[in-house]
Amino acid sequence: MNHLDVLESEAVYILREVAGQFKNPVLLFSGGKDSTLLIHLALKAFYPLPMPFSVMHIDTGHNFEEALSFRDSLVKQHNLQLVVRKVEDTIKLKNLEEPGGKFPSRNALQSYTLLDAISEFQYDAIIGGGRRDEEKARAKERIFSVRDASGAWLPHNQRPELWDLYNGQIHADEQIRVFPISNWSELDVWQYIKQEKIELPSLYFAHERQCIQFNKRLVAMSEYIMQDAADVIITTSVRYRTVGDMTCTAAVESTARTIDEVIDEISASMLSERGETRMDDQISDAGMEDRKLKGYF
Amino acid sequence: MQRLYEKIAMDILRFITAGSIDDGKSTLIGRLLLDTGNIKNDILESVKAGKENGDVNLAFITDGLRAERLAGITIDVAYKYFTTHQRKFIITDAPGHFHYTKNLVTGASGVDAMIILIDATIGISMQTLIHSMVASFLGIPNLVVAINKMDLAGYDEAVYSLLKTEYNQIAEQLKLDNITYIPMSALEGDNVTSPSVNMTWYKGDNLLQYLEECKTSELGENGNLRIIVQYVANGFIYGRVVSGMLQTGSHVNINGSGINAAVKTIFHNYIEVNEATAGHDICLVLETDQPVNRGDILTNVNDNLQYTNEFEADLCWLDEASELELNKDYKIRIASAEVTGQINEIISKTVVDSSINYDSNEPISVNEFARVSIRTNNKVAFDNFNQIKETGRGILIDRDTNNTSGALILR
Repeated sequence: MNHLDVLESEAVYILREVAGQFKNPVLLFSGGKDSTLLIHLALKAFYPLPMPFSVMHIDTGHNFEEALSFRDSLVKQHNLQLVVRKVEDTIKLKNLEEPGGKFPSRNALQSYTLLDAISEFQYDAIIGGGRRDEEKARAKERIFSVRDASGAWLPHNQRPELWDLYNGQIHADEQIRVFPISNWSELDVWQYIKQEKIELPSLYFAHERQCIQFNKRLVAMSEYIMQDAADVIITTSVRYRTVGDMTCTAAVESTARTIDEVIDEISASMLSERGETRMDDQISDAGMEDRKLKGYF
Repeated sequence: MQRLYEKIAMDILRFITAGSIDDGKSTLIGRLLLDTGNIKNDILESVKAGKENGDVNLAFITDGLRAERLAGITIDVAYKYFTTHQRKFIITDAPGHFHYTKNLVTGASGVDAMIILIDATIGISMQTLIHSMVASFLGIPNLVVAINKMDLAGYDEAVYSLLKTEYNQIAEQLKLDNITYIPMSALEGDNVTSPSVNMTWYKGDNLLQYLEECKTSELGENGNLRIIVQYVANGFIYGRVVSGMLQTGSHVNINGSGINAAVKTIFHNYIEVNEATAGHDICLVLETDQPVNRGDILTNVNDNLQYTNEFEADLCWLDEASELELNKDYKIRIASAEVTGQINEIISKTVVDSSINYDSNEPISVNEFARVSIRTNNKVAFDNFNQIKETGRGILIDRDTNNTSGALILR
């Protein structure tokens, strides 16, 4: 078996374990490449039946239009049950402070909406597209990651996880976060997308876009960011290497219009995937670890 | 040069590094990643922090938690990935400290190879013995003993030879075989990804060569049929073939119980197929009125699968919060089957201090190994681990805490 077969098999096995061990799982889907890959794997894992769980989008309201329309068309195409919960509503309900600054990211606030939705629907397993090679805190997380009653990750006391014997036993208020594509690299994801002919939002391929140049990064012009007179605005050919909020995801300069060109480009890139595109990881050395302690993915 | 998007016929090798706290595990992984061009610039910048002269702190590449970076030690397993033109590699960086042996066991389960680091200036330590115990317990198929820090031992062949002789005795005691010895300096890069100019007396492979050529653990297509049933819905049976092969029209047996059923349909990879082999995740439809459930194992008719409620196993205790309690009800999970059962006898306990001894009168607590006998309330299907690994291993779950408290090898 080549490496893509092995990774696919591992993910299919994990998804079937979720179906076999839990009463009410949900798969998180944002319209990005990793969660789109997860949906493909879940459809494959349960063929010829439909996948036995619904999908959920935690919507920050700062989405790329292309990702949203892609989300809706994929949901329609495969007749998936989509649940959307909005950070906007959580902010109103809990009277939370809207983030300020030039790039007001609601990224960290997503955890509140996610935890509320988990308790609203009584989800016991939440499947996500996190990969260990993305970030150093993620590199340490188990495939079945136990979260306590407050949704927090307990990095110092993780449950032993041996072979493929995933232990999904939990107490009533706890939940398991499941990461079926933990062992995939960015390149594996793209090679598999090519092999399986998986469709992605157009954002992942080169297109002309008006951006603000900020700290060597290109941030798309949108109504969600604060523009000021000093901004350097350019229109150039870019693509997205990761797709998150418009406020905290930067584009990369690119002319890669096909999957092969994208694979060539990331193979040659001297920068890591999140390092090049995520403004939320750069806040501190332990940005991701801190968010995970508060219930983040 | 071959373009990477065309290069998808690679396989995957999973390996783990084990060594005492300062034997240089994390440094070795940093070195492997750096020398194979698998560390991106922004990550490189972030690990220069903490070194005043701007040198790269190789160990920081794997220590992902704040507490680990502050204390300078590895607490839990971290996974790292790199690719060469030969292979994709999954590295498990595991803690060296005795206290975290349970995390080492997590990281070492399922690897194709283990690298045990020995500090050439210190020699074989208690940690070396424990790491070797773990390799022996888990039946890790390939072992590298890396005699590290040879730069601090004058690159002296005699130092290497002495340690090799000493380790051979441990290997014999633990029945470890397939061992490769490599003299190394992870810090300086000797024999990591290129031959050492300082140790021309060593004629063997460097570590990367070894890893690129090391045999991976493939599932046995020629073995007896084993299908682990994971999930059943509307008559569709989802599971993985872990051994042997299966054809439509043939008959399978459920848990060695005497109940046979004909295979009507096999789905694999979105299509209906006529046969499936080890490694395939399949969906089956059987011609039978008998229920098939998660936890069942399907075999050929007249197979030698064991199906019993009394058996022996090797055990490693993984729970810091409790000791093994005799005759207490635990959940015992073997493949996808879950039954309630008790450990009713400790046959022998393996004690590792300055050497390895066997004793049976001590309680079993975290990071300790024993041979035990188990009784389960209902029968459970399994194989001898030495024949079919996937159906010969299990975990023991504490019913109060839900923790994975023990690892079981059925042999």
